[in-house]
Amino acid sequence: MPDLLADRKNREFALIDRILSGHHESFYELISPYQRRVFMTAYDILQVEADAEEVAQETFLKAFRSLRSFRREAQFSTWLLRITVNEARMRLRKRREISLDSLSPNHEETDYTPILLADWREIPAEALLREETRRLLRESIAALPDNYREILTLRDVNGLSTADAAEILGLSQGNAKVRLLRARIMLRDLFVERLRSRTKQRLSGEATP
Amino acid sequence: MKLDCKHIWRELSNYLDGEIPTDLRRDIEAHVAQCRHCAALLDSTHNLIVLIADERRFELPVGFSARLRKRLERELATSRPD
Repeated sequence: MPDLLADRKNREFALIDRILSGHHESFYELISPYQRRVFMTAYDILQVEADAEEVAQETFLKAFRSLRSFRREAQFSTWLLRITVNEARMRLRKRREISLDSLSPNHEETDYTPILLADWREIPAEALLREETRRLLRESIAALPDNYREILTLRDVNGLSTADAAEILGLSQGNAKVRLLRARIMLRDLFVERLRSRTKQRLSGEATP
Repeated sequence: MKLDCKHIWRELSNYLDGEIPTDLRRDIEAHVAQCRHCAALLDSTHNLIVLIADERRFELPVGFSARLRKRLERELATSRPD
């Protein structure tokens, strides 16, 4: 509902005005709807709860300190998530001391062939309901390269538009779409592999009681 | 236009997001009706995306908000936004 969106935006801008005029306690109200989203975004990038919580705290501190630089043509949530992604990346870099983007640009442009086509197995909808399947999914998300996990988290977990996700990640929309496509297909491949090996394990377990 | 499987893979994401021109959508659906590999790929990826969206229910760690507030309190009392 566009009206609800506009309402929220106006309310947030009014809160920001209040904060900038010295009513700092209004900051809690401004950020309270976004705590979960910020934490989850950080968590999906970092995969460690304690690190994600620290990054979330840093994000909100940074947002407060630089609130005046928030330009109001963007949504506050987009701006906040951009800070989150940057903070999480910095943390990741410190942790791993490796470069951020492990993919060279031409990795993103060219053809991609989904694996397992010769030996195809569909993921049945009912399989997705089981708790174990969710664990396999989380493992698969964790196994994605960082830049794939980032876009997948923003777009498919947080439900942002591709345009917003692109803006947060500093990508063109075209590149964001290509990256999202590859992230989804790779996730599917990782997931299918896990599902199959799990099924195999279970079958062999049943064969030798 | 007749599409091959590579076309389908390339457009998979846009197709699932509904960000695709009508005629291309029709071509993809014509291909998928004939090709069980692509049909399975579309279905399984779609199912996964639905499942991922469900992860949104993931809860905050216990005490998260209280710790955040504590961390912010001093900052809010002593400094000003730039």
